[in-house]
Amino acid sequence: MSQPVRISLFEPSVIIRHGLLSILNRLNAFRIEVFEIPDIDQIKSSLPWQKPDILIVNASIIGISSMNQIRKTIASPDLKCVALQTSLLDSSSLQTFDEVISIYDSAEQIIGKLTHIVVSQEDGNKLETLTSREKEIIVCVIKGMTNKQIADTLHLSPHTIVSHRRNITAKLQIHSTAGLTVYAIVNKLVSV
Amino acid sequence: MKQYTFVKYQPSDAISSLINENSHTLLVLSRFNIALGFGDRNIGEVCRANSVDVNTFLAIINLMGNDNKPVLPVKSPVSIECLINYLYHSHQFFLNFRLPEMRRKFVAALNESEEDLNRAVLVYFDNFVAALKKHTQNEDKKIFPYVQDLLKGKQREKLPVVLSKQHEQIQTRLTEFKNVLIKYYPANKANEINSFLFDVFNCEKDLASHNAVEEYLFQPAIDELENRNNSTTTI
Repeated sequence: MSQPVRISLFEPSVIIRHGLLSILNRLNAFRIEVFEIPDIDQIKSSLPWQKPDILIVNASIIGISSMNQIRKTIASPDLKCVALQTSLLDSSSLQTFDEVISIYDSAEQIIGKLTHIVVSQEDGNKLETLTSREKEIIVCVIKGMTNKQIADTLHLSPHTIVSHRRNITAKLQIHSTAGLTVYAIVNKLVSV
Repeated sequence: MKQYTFVKYQPSDAISSLINENSHTLLVLSRFNIALGFGDRNIGEVCRANSVDVNTFLAIINLMGNDNKPVLPVKSPVSIECLINYLYHSHQFFLNFRLPEMRRKFVAALNESEEDLNRAVLVYFDNFVAALKKHTQNEDKKIFPYVQDLLKGKQREKLPVVLSKQHEQIQTRLTEFKNVLIKYYPANKANEINSFLFDVFNCEKDLASHNAVEEYLFQPAIDELENRNNSTTTI
């Protein structure tokens, strides 16, 4: 994943907030960008520009109704909400969340839970080796051929080429032709 | 009610301790044309002596000190003139100093007898530089004059200014370049390539903080200026 995962953290206690931040800094499976929200009044105004992928909130303070409101303001189906449980709560209020972190969880548990959320979000993007068709297409791309030309040469539809190219980008995390050229030379896809 | 803020530095803080805490603030000083040699003077004194707006200086420093995330309250009364001056010098730094220097180091770090691969990685680097140049020139030649006109109260047709998307693309380009190099370039001059890669990592950081200044300080200031000018014209 080339873009960092954006995490917004609402927790009024600076001690708990910074405790969680230091655990978040140990996440090394992916890059993160964390925004602190210390005050409940700031949630509404900060979320639109923070655009978090994951929202961690103190579940004792937020309540179900405001949680539903928050989901509405964000209006992103991909937003994952994580409850930070600091006190005893009934299970129905925790059900609205995608995951629950207790302040008594170990660092490993917390890292495991968050990694699980992120990995389930990007399960399609696993690094795999390229198929021989994809390698053929890379060679065409770095020769400067258009999708239409590639489709004609390989007797495929332009639509198929587009989807192949999307898969190549996802597997290699390379968007530019210049980057693909380097990849192709090193992996001997082209003899120059 | 005053809300909790993350403001870290005040005008009364010594400027030398600021640099020790975050070495990247050296870049901020040079972009404001503040020379080293300020002894024990504090931020406020040094800014005044160099005719730099203290609020703008602090807004930039605090943004950097907060990992390039906006410092609350987001809107601080920055001087737009001062900000443009800073951004302009920052562009000059990347294009006339940082990137040419990096290119020289890169060329020196490349393997011998791998001409094709070397040509390909240099094109890759040069494409990134070209993209950055295009973006900064657009700002220097179109956006800055536009904002300066707005400041003078001149009527201008609204210029759509959305900086964040372009920034994301440019930063992704550099990150991708770096990753391809790390993953696929079989470098055999370890010291030279390491030194170059450290520069790339640093450059990523510098770019991120430059972009944060544009997105979190400059963009809101433009939006506010446009709104103000609009409301005066409708009266």
